[in-house]
Amino acid sequence: MKKALLISLMVILALLVLLPFLWTFSTSLKPLNEVNKYPPEWTSVNMSLKPYSDMFFYLPFSTYTLNSLIVAFSSTILTLLIGSLAAFAFSRFQFAGKNVFLLIFLLSQMLPGASVIIPLFQLLQKVGLYDTHLGLILVHTAFLLPFVIWLLYGFFLAIPRDVEDAALIDGCSRMQALRKVILPLALPGMGATALFAFLGSWNEFFFALLLTSSDSTKTIPVGIGLFVGEYLDVWNQMAAAAVLFSLPPLILFLFTRKTFVKGLVAGAYR
Amino acid sequence: MKKSLPYLLLVPALLFTVFVLVYPLVQNLINSVCDVSMIRGSNGWVGLHNYERIFNDTLFWHSFRNTAIYAIVGTLLALLVGLGFALLLNMKLGRISSIASFLYTIPWVISPVVAGFAWKWILNDRFGIVNYWLASAGIVKLGTSWLGDPGTALFCVMLARIWQFYPFAMVMFLAGLQTIPQEQYEAAAVDGATMVRRFFYITLPNLKSVSSVLLVLGVIWSFNDFNMVFVMTRGGPMNSSMVLPVLVRELSFVHFDLGRGSALSIVIFVLLVSLSYLYLKLIGGRESA
Repeated sequence: MKKALLISLMVILALLVLLPFLWTFSTSLKPLNEVNKYPPEWTSVNMSLKPYSDMFFYLPFSTYTLNSLIVAFSSTILTLLIGSLAAFAFSRFQFAGKNVFLLIFLLSQMLPGASVIIPLFQLLQKVGLYDTHLGLILVHTAFLLPFVIWLLYGFFLAIPRDVEDAALIDGCSRMQALRKVILPLALPGMGATALFAFLGSWNEFFFALLLTSSDSTKTIPVGIGLFVGEYLDVWNQMAAAAVLFSLPPLILFLFTRKTFVKGLVAGAYR
Repeated sequence: MKKSLPYLLLVPALLFTVFVLVYPLVQNLINSVCDVSMIRGSNGWVGLHNYERIFNDTLFWHSFRNTAIYAIVGTLLALLVGLGFALLLNMKLGRISSIASFLYTIPWVISPVVAGFAWKWILNDRFGIVNYWLASAGIVKLGTSWLGDPGTALFCVMLARIWQFYPFAMVMFLAGLQTIPQEQYEAAAVDGATMVRRFFYITLPNLKSVSSVLLVLGVIWSFNDFNMVFVMTRGGPMNSSMVLPVLVRELSFVHFDLGRGSALSIVIFVLLVSLSYLYLKLIGGRESA
């Protein structure tokens, strides 16, 4: 009895929590005349996937999708490359100033985007990287780095020193040990970190909004964020874009929940 | 060579940190004491004029108040909601709890832009499902514009923000709940303590450190939050839901006054550093305890 009560409470709460998404999903399948109808209805016989194809046809979402993929993939790779070098240094060496460097990375993670955006905007304009993929990739990389370093640092620390020492005795150099011993062992952790980085860049809105201006560089969140208000009349296509854009994070989350939650908890304490 | 290797490994990461941390701060300081405009160009030193204009501007104080309410009240409520959900999930109903915790975490995983869009759409004055339900129940009259009314706009954005942030608190509280030694509850049960007493004397004290970390992190993140406000209201109507990060964009990229925008950035930075200091104290204290 008590269990049944708890379960019904859980179901009701789940529906309540997911209400905005459920309503958006329902909207994304409706023809326009039923979107703007009162009283609103959850389902209709005229539901179809047409808004999904319309959105690529009438709104520039195919370009936006390509831009988002380019920026998120490049930022992820760049962040992981640079981050694993730094994490290797932190986890395997004792050196003067180590704690200061760790603190610098921790602090840069706290930095509000609003307090650096103007100089970054000026700098990118000066060097001709404003409104380019590369400019946005560099900024995303810089902002993802601290968190990625913290995560990788933790994963690297968990790899036993003995394995690496054995490799060194066998005549590997330190860098060879990183490449041939640590990286393969850290692969699951690297994978999880890559997902964080990818989602961080994929979902990022503030810099993408203010450091791009033309359709050929805008990412999907910028498209959605700007169109709300401008194209009020095509709520169904906007909803379709929102649903499609949410799929990668949702799928990744579904398959990496355990690591995701662990990373969340660890990230907050470090 | 051996000694310099760790430093060499850090160089790329440090270059990026300089690029987003050191350079912008220095440049912001320079901007903030100059007249820099995207239209009129750079016109040199003006002293503290930009700061003076900000502190004499009622819009700044209004936004500051909004940001504080949004960050503090929003975070406190999100923590309460998160704690409730965590307690529910901690009832250990096996697979059902696991599915529920997945569903309850979704708002945190989804892009804030999509979240803002979805909330804006369910709150739509004419075709939103919320207004339809409330009007059908006779609570409000149809066409009530929640986001178009200066009296309710900030409140609505805060509601969406709470909805977006509570899963983080939930996950952290759940992790905290699972570290409470079961013996404490057993001992209390033997002593005949009621469930309510057990909650207040065992559960809550054990969650103290998690709560304080969550509170500070939540306030910092919400203080910085640009996305939800921008997507849902852009700070309007009539600046009623304006917050500091959105105001920076307004000054710099709508009024093209980079000098004043930079001065506001510095003010935000100083506020944030104070909050971060508090956070470092908290996690530092936790480790030594």
